[in-house]
Amino acid sequence: MLYKISVPQVADVEEIRILEWHRQAGEPVAQGDLVVELETHKAIVEVRAGQNGYLRKILAEAGNWQGIGLPLAVLSDGQSEPVPEDVQALVDLPVDFEIT
Amino acid sequence: MSSERRSAMHKMFFREAIARAVREEMRDNPNVLILGQDVGRFGGSYREFDGLFEEFGPERVRDMPVAEPAMVGMGVGAAAAGLRPLVSITYMDFMMLGLDPLINYGAKLRYKTGGQLTAPVVVKTTAGAKGQGVAHSQCIEAWLMSVPGLKVVAPATPADAYGLLKTALRSDGPVVYVDHKRLFPVAGEVPVDEIAIPFGSARLCRSGTDLTITAHSFMVRTALEAAKLLEKAGLSAEVIDLRSLAPLDINTIVASVKRTGRLLTLEEGQITTGVGAEVVTRVMEHLGPIDFTRVGPLPAPVSSNRVLEAACLPDAARVATAARLLQSSGKLVCSN
Repeated sequence: MLYKISVPQVADVEEIRILEWHRQAGEPVAQGDLVVELETHKAIVEVRAGQNGYLRKILAEAGNWQGIGLPLAVLSDGQSEPVPEDVQALVDLPVDFEIT
Repeated sequence: MSSERRSAMHKMFFREAIARAVREEMRDNPNVLILGQDVGRFGGSYREFDGLFEEFGPERVRDMPVAEPAMVGMGVGAAAAGLRPLVSITYMDFMMLGLDPLINYGAKLRYKTGGQLTAPVVVKTTAGAKGQGVAHSQCIEAWLMSVPGLKVVAPATPADAYGLLKTALRSDGPVVYVDHKRLFPVAGEVPVDEIAIPFGSARLCRSGTDLTITAHSFMVRTALEAAKLLEKAGLSAEVIDLRSLAPLDINTIVASVKRTGRLLTLEEGQITTGVGAEVVTRVMEHLGPIDFTRVGPLPAPVSSNRVLEAACLPDAARVATAARLLQSSGKLVCSN
């Protein structure tokens, strides 16, 4: 099954800047792995995978901006499930996120 | 105009626009320095001075004790002696403590010395309500507009935060630079080129034909939201961001009201002797009687209780209601 991870709801924030990806497309991710760090006006948001899988496609590279709730990446259970063009319809994978 | 060259833009947070303006001016002019609480290693209460302590050191980025009269007093004195200090006052409410040195000494210095001395100090402060209650929420910029010799500016976007702060740091008179707690989460495009924005120049943010809304700082966003609501109701609102309160760009406002025939002023500070009162009066000095309404908060302190805070402050729905009333009645309405 395919999933997407999206920018988590952070109070007061409209959009974030992608600071750094800690996994690249094609790499496996384990539950709890730090996938990406996001930057708000005053904090760093660490986004961690909510379950095991593969990071398949990064939709917003480091340095780019993305609005709250909009997709950041596509993940999948299997290594080779085809990634669709339109990712909006994909189920949102729950993420653990920590604001530091 | 075809001769106008559009600069390349770079997106950044509001705080980064502030830091960039200060950094560039500090690099250009060794007399520019920062005085304030938590401005040093901490990087500013809103991280708006991030990286400056590391680049310029404790001589030029100075942490101050919790003593606003001393901070502003030192800033005015250092300015009179030839430096260009930026004094950071975290909450605009606390500026009240620094008004004596700012008004009685800073703003009057050029007059008192027959132009021999000036006080090129910038007092940067953060206004507005955001859950912090009666003494950490106020917008008192209208108090300052009436002081001869004092300039007052209040940006609403990262681009204006950048451009107005550059002009402030190059200005020869004392400047009060007012930002807003709710603007710090905002990101926006800022020109890559070093472009200062002159004082006394309002910005037309949205064109319309039925009424003119003036606002500054965070309320510009509220005005734009209200304009969207009004559009659905068939009313076309023009929105002007004042940007600079003293000097006030009255010509831009007058030209707009001439086209639309109606004026709604919006502010988060009190409307009694407020920014709107001044805007309306000056427009009438040019155009004679017009249909107008002033929108602001309730005449009460802002609570730290979320529900009561929202009840006190103007929002897009209230602005839209006041605009519709103005349109239908064609009378002078005072709606606070």
